[in-house]
Amino acid sequence: MADPTSTPSDRSTAYTNGIGRRSFIRAAGASAALGLFAGCSGDGGGGGENPDRGGGISETVTIGHLAPLNNPLGIGSKRSAEMAVAEINDDGGIADQTVELVTKDTRASPSEARTVAGELVRQEEVDAIVGTFSSEVTQSIMDLVSEFNTPFLVTGSAAPSTVTEFVASDYERYKNTFRVGPVNSHFQAEVISQYASHLSDRHGWNTFAVVADDAEWTTVFRNRLVDLLREADLDVPMVNGLATDTTSFGSVLDDVDEVGADAMFRFFAHINGGPMAARWAEGEYEFGIEGVHVASMLPAYYQLTEGAAAYETTTQSGAAGVTDITSKTVPFTESYMEKYGDADDPPSKPMYMGFVTYDAIHVFKNAAERAGTVDQENNLDTIVDALLQTDFTGAAGQVQFYGADETYAHDLREKRDSDGIITNYPLTQWREGGSLECVYPEGLRTAEHAAPPWMG
Amino acid sequence: MLGDIASVIVDGALISAVYALIAIGFTMVFGVGGVLNLAHGALIMAGAYTYLSLVSDSILASVTLHPIVAFPLTIVIVGLISYGLYVVLVRTIEENVVITFLATIVVAIAFTELVTLVFHAQPYQYSVVPGVLQVQALGTRILYVELAAFVASWGAMGLLWYYVTKTDSGRSIRATSMSERGAMLTGVDVSGVRARTWLVAGGLAGIAGVFLGGIGAAEPTMWLEPLALAFIIVVVGGIGSIKGSVAAAYIVGYLQTATGQFLGQSVRGIMSLVVLVVVLLVLPQGLYGTEFVHE
Repeated sequence: MADPTSTPSDRSTAYTNGIGRRSFIRAAGASAALGLFAGCSGDGGGGGENPDRGGGISETVTIGHLAPLNNPLGIGSKRSAEMAVAEINDDGGIADQTVELVTKDTRASPSEARTVAGELVRQEEVDAIVGTFSSEVTQSIMDLVSEFNTPFLVTGSAAPSTVTEFVASDYERYKNTFRVGPVNSHFQAEVISQYASHLSDRHGWNTFAVVADDAEWTTVFRNRLVDLLREADLDVPMVNGLATDTTSFGSVLDDVDEVGADAMFRFFAHINGGPMAARWAEGEYEFGIEGVHVASMLPAYYQLTEGAAAYETTTQSGAAGVTDITSKTVPFTESYMEKYGDADDPPSKPMYMGFVTYDAIHVFKNAAERAGTVDQENNLDTIVDALLQTDFTGAAGQVQFYGADETYAHDLREKRDSDGIITNYPLTQWREGGSLECVYPEGLRTAEHAAPPWMG
Repeated sequence: MLGDIASVIVDGALISAVYALIAIGFTMVFGVGGVLNLAHGALIMAGAYTYLSLVSDSILASVTLHPIVAFPLTIVIVGLISYGLYVVLVRTIEENVVITFLATIVVAIAFTELVTLVFHAQPYQYSVVPGVLQVQALGTRILYVELAAFVASWGAMGLLWYYVTKTDSGRSIRATSMSERGAMLTGVDVSGVRARTWLVAGGLAGIAGVFLGGIGAAEPTMWLEPLALAFIIVVVGGIGSIKGSVAAAYIVGYLQTATGQFLGQSVRGIMSLVVLVVVLLVLPQGLYGTEFVHE
């Protein structure tokens, strides 16, 4: 599975953004390494269709980026995309061609997403699209981008249906779509169940309550996770869906308390669980708050909750850059913080979508160079094959895709250690004072999971 | 089970008081000026963000006031915003009901955008009254801020009651809401009454905003649910009736809490909509409303 073109990525540990770094020698080296590209586009294929391509005339590769820019996650993704493009251009672009990034705001709305995705494929004539935060948005534009054969690298949404009901069920039509991260929620549920066993070993916590957004993405947690926990001999006395506009949490916390749970797994992307954490900490409820919580991934979350966040955990791809998932995780995070840490707008760190988008753009660059073309109109199969060969060390982890014939065709492969523990979906925990520690899995841990001090 | 019922009684009583406060302002503005003020929710949000800016050092580093100072100051500021909204915008267009209605929607949306621009789409939490009351017998814990919200809401309603029944200035508000023509004939300055009503409604919304943000969080969409509830409450209670708003706020608040407790949190909002439909069909004028009379 060696990836001949992923070696250049090793230099990206140095993330200087000065334009001066671009060197002709480097560009020449890159283009020499990409003789295949020159040959292919010169011979026909893309070159035949588009006379500007090939013949050594410098041209641009345009990458479209879609994200909700009214959400810090989307802004983190945009900035990370810009950083990836700047790095690639500093290193000679994609096969000698300068990369241009066009970001459009989906406003988290499927209909708005269709409009702006239409602009990207029709007017900007982008060579690839990366991004999209929610599964509803992702799926609403898949038909459109597949019409244009545009490679689509999904970086924010995690519903397995994006691949199972589209790519795997009508491969010819949707083969342009890949999901670069995070691991899909089928595997996320498995991560949580493995994590529950870890909590059981560490604290003797054996009873778990499951509370979730009443939304599509949590179905797997309310079903599969509960089964997995019970298979592991853990008790699940309470499974509860909350309306996505829930703002009062008194009775939920009382109920979790009443069933005697040692920890509550909450799955909140729509609900802001900050006020719940405040009530939990004030009331010193005798259980931990664990699981997935998008608001808790905000770098400013600890300050925003006035410290109530201490001891709550959340999964997040990239682990907020606090641990060396790969050699690139921390350098990328530091370079982002150097650039945007003091910016007026949040987030001060890339957040999970930023990590994945950053990786996705590099994945596309490598695949395009492997394929020797970005002309998706005529050579989509070549590009898809090249993407399928991806074995890329990214900031959020190793990127490999499931093959065309597998259940999760074109989806990010989960990584497992020798014990079968999934390692590319880490959990972080807020600590007193506002620091963030990676507490799971073991190989990435920066600190052991801590139970709230008020628990006996 | 007994514990569940008891906690519904307590939780319902606490949150309904805040709902009543929101609905009263909403219904007064409608009763007096005939304006359906959809920017009322924005005033609630203004209360939360104003208080946050005054007490938290993370917003305006140079301004960090003690809650005892910040709370009344917030009420005054939001009252003045509401007053300004009337004097600058609504007064010039209020004769046209549809345009006024649309204008208040525009104000609400513009305000949401402004808040997103200044504070970003991040939920801010702040503490109004820290601490928690353990009620072991009920298996629940009540935040002091919820108790404070209850006390402040009833305090404000008491003051309002005194104002509209015992003072000339307040009585002229009631007179105008009963019959504008009658009020004019007895020498009431109707335009002044309307402006005063907006001031009072804004102040009440400010109080509600401080506590809603303190119990939950200040965020740019925090006004949607309270505004929808105020709508339901006002229709159920009878448009223009303060007494009706208080009664309906308790009906809706208890229904929500009980539905959430016994039928599941994901359906807690549904029962109040059912009540709304039933009231519209059976009792269109609401609990304490008067039938509309063509003047």
